[in-house]
Amino acid sequence: MLILGGLALLLFLSAFVAILVGTLGPIGPGEPERITFSEAIDSIFSDSTYHWVFWNVRIPRVLLAGLVGAALACSGTAMQAIFRNSMADPFVIGVSSGAALGAAIAGFLGLTSIAGIGLGMPPLFAFITAILAAFTVYVLGSVKGRVYVDTLLLSGVAVAAFLGALVSFSIYLARQQFHQLIFWLLGSLALARWSYVEILLVVVAIGAAVVYLYGRDLDALLLGEETAHNLGANPEPLKKLMLGVSALMAAAAVAFTGVIGFVGLITPHMTRLVMGANHRLLVPAATLSGAIFLIWADTLARTIVTPDELPVGIITALCGGPFFLYLLRRHSMGRES
Amino acid sequence: MRLELKDLSFSFAEKLVLKGVSMDVADGEFLGLMGPNGSGKTTLLRCITNFLPGWDGKILVDGKPMVSYTPRSLAKVFAEVPQISSTDFPFTAYDIVMMGRIPHIGSRLEGETRKDMEIVRTSMKRTNTLQFAERHFSELSGGERQRVIIARALAQQPKVLLLDEPTVYLDISGQFEMMDLIRGLNKEERITTVTVLHDINMAARYCDRIALLNEGRLEAIGTPEEVLTQENIQSIYGLDVSVRKDPFTHSVYVMPRSARAPPKRHGARVHVLCGGGTGGPLMRALVENGYSVSTGVLNVLDSDYENATDLRVPVVAEAPFSQIGPESHGENLRMIDDSQVVIVLPFPVGPGNLKNLEAARYAVERGKRVYVFRADREVAYDFVGGRAESFISALTSSGAMEVRSLAQVLTEISRLGGAASA
Repeated sequence: MLILGGLALLLFLSAFVAILVGTLGPIGPGEPERITFSEAIDSIFSDSTYHWVFWNVRIPRVLLAGLVGAALACSGTAMQAIFRNSMADPFVIGVSSGAALGAAIAGFLGLTSIAGIGLGMPPLFAFITAILAAFTVYVLGSVKGRVYVDTLLLSGVAVAAFLGALVSFSIYLARQQFHQLIFWLLGSLALARWSYVEILLVVVAIGAAVVYLYGRDLDALLLGEETAHNLGANPEPLKKLMLGVSALMAAAAVAFTGVIGFVGLITPHMTRLVMGANHRLLVPAATLSGAIFLIWADTLARTIVTPDELPVGIITALCGGPFFLYLLRRHSMGRES
Repeated sequence: MRLELKDLSFSFAEKLVLKGVSMDVADGEFLGLMGPNGSGKTTLLRCITNFLPGWDGKILVDGKPMVSYTPRSLAKVFAEVPQISSTDFPFTAYDIVMMGRIPHIGSRLEGETRKDMEIVRTSMKRTNTLQFAERHFSELSGGERQRVIIARALAQQPKVLLLDEPTVYLDISGQFEMMDLIRGLNKEERITTVTVLHDINMAARYCDRIALLNEGRLEAIGTPEEVLTQENIQSIYGLDVSVRKDPFTHSVYVMPRSARAPPKRHGARVHVLCGGGTGGPLMRALVENGYSVSTGVLNVLDSDYENATDLRVPVVAEAPFSQIGPESHGENLRMIDDSQVVIVLPFPVGPGNLKNLEAARYAVERGKRVYVFRADREVAYDFVGGRAESFISALTSSGAMEVRSLAQVLTEISRLGGAASA
């Protein structure tokens, strides 16, 4: 409980600092510039030059980063429990490659985001194809209404490879969108807007609540389906519910920001190393940690090479990878003694 | 809680795994499920807990059909202990035991109550696992893990405990510790227990009743003495065993003799003069090598008499603690007449069985091949004031061959080979 409170506080502080940090581009042409903290605070709360930029670009971006991080971490936690494998992530059932294909199709058809309707076409396409891909994997991985997780895992690999090839093919066909698609494949929060934040907030709130409420059932499932069954945690509906909720959260996140890797893999894993596997604690802790992690990763992504920005997926992999290895090594050392 | 199975059948991939099994398990009973691999024991357990849907027949739990229970209420009736439990995820032993409370926690919105924690503590104390409550489950030894799983089962407060070979991965002391624990829970908490066991002697010692399955059929059910007979074990396991009573516990115990069916008789007829257990290994070796063996005269309570009857070797018997009478002596000599070879073991000789040495002398006189095992000087065998000694030396000087080991005597008689059997 203390840890969860601490994480919530840390999330709040992170978001606050992230909002204040970074360069600001003026509306229209001109060089972006750095402003001080006090100027930034002034701009947020008074009608100064950057007031609009803060409220319509920076704040939604930071909030979206937090929500995407939370969605991926929570989805990853549930996936790792279903697959009984701490190497599983939100994308094992084909969500990311499905979304990528949708985004590529939208790009190929020239359906760029149309301002005014809130939700652009690429996210909608990406979301739909992501869900379709996940559903295909689910159908391939189940026999007579029973989900076999090992078959599911292999179906996910196969479907992802197939869709990945289609994505590469569409990149080859549509050279002019090449850069744009690559940027999307590496993930970016640059397109954040309030409508994205609102939609994702609803998805994450419902998704994380469902995963949390079934936390004890996930605990039991980790000792095998027979044990789960014998503890009254009916494994078949449980797996289906968790797959559905995780796919929904991952698809929604990916649709808005592209494929941000590593968050959904390492956040649950790291949180588990520190806090243990008990899901009633792990689910909220991993969800909060995912939000914190992605807020900082995005802050780095947009400040490290100003005035340009890096795809955030590069940052998550660059920071997450080594830190993950460090924790893993320390953990296995502990196992020796 | 009473458990009734009526005509239970189950097929997997169009193969019938259970074929109409009917049995009742009484409240508070300790029932062992036995049978060869693939006989349907684990399947039976999984049907009872409804983990395998699609079974046929009736399962009544406390008189009500099992299917009328919700998964949650069924989890308050049955607790299951699998062969082995493992997870790579960092659950502590305490976490694992707390999982036993899942069916009892009313709503998903609720956390664990003080009462749940108290029950978990009591269960861990009872199974001697409280001292490593905070250690990771994956770091515990096999026996410790299995005790944690028993604690989880206890925390479920079940009416029936179902175990699938709970001792299979434990060392010998761990096995007895585990069985004592389970038996204790069965008697003290009156938890009806159904357990799959492979070790026949373990089952005989701990179970009230044993159900013997073979190829999906219930072949026998009853007390260990009723079920664990030489015939049942021969027909179901294809194993030649002797069934005796443990002198200390009076429970039956079973000793395998040979996994092979007795070979066809081909060799010479061999008569063995023994007593006091000296003849067991030799008679067994002879039988396994295909010789026709007979022995005598032995008192009915003599351990060589038991050895002979176990091996189904014809034996001339005399009443317990009685002298060899003229009738049985005569019978013994007739058996020697029918044999080509007579082997004399260094059996303890007293006034009651001195006649057996006379029988040996008779064999030499009749021109039989006689082998005499040299007595170990350290072990007293002559209880007739030197008369046995002089008998033996008379035998060797008049043509009997002295041998030192079982292997030697087997080689000697195999050399006789065709000549003797012809």
